[in-house]
Amino acid sequence: MNSLNAAPVPASIDALVQALQSVGYFADRRLATAVFLALKLQRPLLLEGEPGVGKTALAKALSEVLSRSLIRLQCYDGLEQREALYEWNYAAQLLHMRAAEMLTPTLRTDVSSLPPEGALAALERPGGGSVAPMATAARDIEAEVYQDRYLIRRPLLQALQAPAPGAVLLIDEVDRADEPFEAFLLEYLGEYQVSIPEIGTVRATATPVTLLTSNRTRDLHDAVKRRCLYHWLDYPERARELAIVRAQVPGASEALAVQVAEFVGRLRSQPFANAFQRAPGIAESVEWAKALVALDTIVVDPEVVSDTAGILFKQREDVAALTRDMAVQLLQPADADA
Amino acid sequence: MFSQLGDARTGKLADNLSGFGRTLRRAGVRVDAARMALAQQAVMLVGLQREDFGAALEAVLVSREQDRMVFRELFDAYFRNPNVAQKLLAQMLPSAESKAEPVKRRPRVSEALAPVRAARNAPPAREEDKIEFDAAMTASDLQRLRQADFNQLSASEYILVERLARDVPLPLPRFAARRTRPGVRGSRPHWPGAMHHAARSGGEVLHIPLLQRRQQPLPLLVLVDVSGSMERYARLLLAFLHAATAPRHTGAAVRRDMFAFGTGLTDLTPAFRLADTDAMLETASHAITDFAGGTRMGDSLGQLRLQHARRLVGRRTLVLLISDGLDTGAPEVLERELAWLRRHCGRLLWLNPLLRYEGYAPTARGASALHRQAHGMVAVHNLSHLKDLAASLASVLRQ
Repeated sequence: MNSLNAAPVPASIDALVQALQSVGYFADRRLATAVFLALKLQRPLLLEGEPGVGKTALAKALSEVLSRSLIRLQCYDGLEQREALYEWNYAAQLLHMRAAEMLTPTLRTDVSSLPPEGALAALERPGGGSVAPMATAARDIEAEVYQDRYLIRRPLLQALQAPAPGAVLLIDEVDRADEPFEAFLLEYLGEYQVSIPEIGTVRATATPVTLLTSNRTRDLHDAVKRRCLYHWLDYPERARELAIVRAQVPGASEALAVQVAEFVGRLRSQPFANAFQRAPGIAESVEWAKALVALDTIVVDPEVVSDTAGILFKQREDVAALTRDMAVQLLQPADADA
Repeated sequence: MFSQLGDARTGKLADNLSGFGRTLRRAGVRVDAARMALAQQAVMLVGLQREDFGAALEAVLVSREQDRMVFRELFDAYFRNPNVAQKLLAQMLPSAESKAEPVKRRPRVSEALAPVRAARNAPPAREEDKIEFDAAMTASDLQRLRQADFNQLSASEYILVERLARDVPLPLPRFAARRTRPGVRGSRPHWPGAMHHAARSGGEVLHIPLLQRRQQPLPLLVLVDVSGSMERYARLLLAFLHAATAPRHTGAAVRRDMFAFGTGLTDLTPAFRLADTDAMLETASHAITDFAGGTRMGDSLGQLRLQHARRLVGRRTLVLLISDGLDTGAPEVLERELAWLRRHCGRLLWLNPLLRYEGYAPTARGASALHRQAHGMVAVHNLSHLKDLAASLASVLRQ
């Protein structure tokens, strides 16, 4: 029934490009092809690229296009299985055990008098007729303690159990988690399932659309990469950046949007890029355009550039490297075009 | 679904694809059979229009940023004319078609084989020879080698010392990671453990085990000077660091980033991933193009800042700069770059072989900048100092 509300997977690459554009995400055709394949082949898609080129935004756009809920797992150093997959609600389980123990007093005395290792084995010994009811009671308690309602679902499990149309799962900045964590992902990425020893295997009701992003602070393990499709997101070409600025900053005049796209595009190209540690991403150019609108700028000039350099660059060295002379050079051809 | 499409067209396509896969593999892009099968499915989905076809294959077959350009060039060449691709491949990889070349032995293998052969060909050894050979490893000799400067060893002694250096341990300083494990000095309760205990005592929580933070070796970034004056030290220290920080010695995987610098910067990290120290040295010396040239440390560090800033993880990286401080670049550039490096790492240590001279003072311009910016200066010119390195690291970290 839910599936009636869910938008179908676009039937072609063109349709996907259109659909993404309708929610404000401008994908080039190569990226759209990769996403299209990920949807059709039901494979996770690993996105790598510089910060601020739209990796996370793609997941948001996709969840909108497909009208599926977005489940996000932000990775960080020290992320553990219990924060990513599932965890038992131990406090509640302990309370449950205490309650059960009080209700069946015989269990307590008899079990605690047995040697701990062999407790269950002794209970299940065929000869011991008198302990049989207690064995059943113990097994009942065990089954009760490990039931569904004491299971805390973390993002991966949530994604697997999302109802009918399925979810979009974003595993963000997977390179921030340490290497051992990647191993927890393998079962999910390969089979869309999670094994919980006490319950069994949880399989996906509907295959979640899975996106992983990485900023490449380290190389991911081949085992992860093997299970995914891969796409490297580049900085956009000028026309696409212009379209993004126009769409995201409706207040900017056409001339200003063109100047912003032109300026940032040239900043990222040689020989200027060499002067900076980190080139501004799309996120920065959009922010910059917004700032220029807020400052009522009509035409970008070197003064404005040096005043607002802190939006484009987040490092003191980079801000300092954007000198007035360089700004003049960067603006020159843009003015000529205009 | 896909097999129903299996007509004459697909037959040809499958051949072409697997041919392309083989070509990719020869160019060093890792492509396995599962990927090839997936590629075929992908192509069925997107059709054979050139751009989509390429993008689809790229999404499936490439999984590293470095491989993208190789892929695109080969793709263009191959699907225009496979023969061109062969030629291109031959150009890109001079060794791709040199199968006739005799198999190169690793130094360790040839060493292992050498004495056997010599013994076979040589006349029976006399008694005196044997005695002499034994004498080579006496305690006093070893003692001398331990104190001897690396630069003043004879060729055979150097080889021996290089071997010995590989067995010197270097317990890296550790930090408390965010990851936890059960332990007595913990602060957070270990609930699964508490459950486990409680189950044994009939649901009674008698004891709550604790979680403590795991101890992990600090990430390491090594910058080694490969100028003429440093040649012997560089090789030996590379061998030492490679062996001493190998996972089998440290017990945990250490993040190791290695760079050589002379007039420019060479990334030796891929070479360092090789398990065998000899193989590492060979790959590294192939990679370094400016061996025994001059030193422009400032420019090299600038390159590090612009291209590899992310190798410095979380401001806790331990940076070892191995250099004699004799720099021919602009001193103000060096000073600025060192200041940046100091701000972005946990500790910046200068391993200086020139400390062998008594009364050494860092008066050269490069050396004085290094002395000002580094958190500490450590001597590394002989084996006994290598043995003390771990203690020196620990003492500098405590500062």
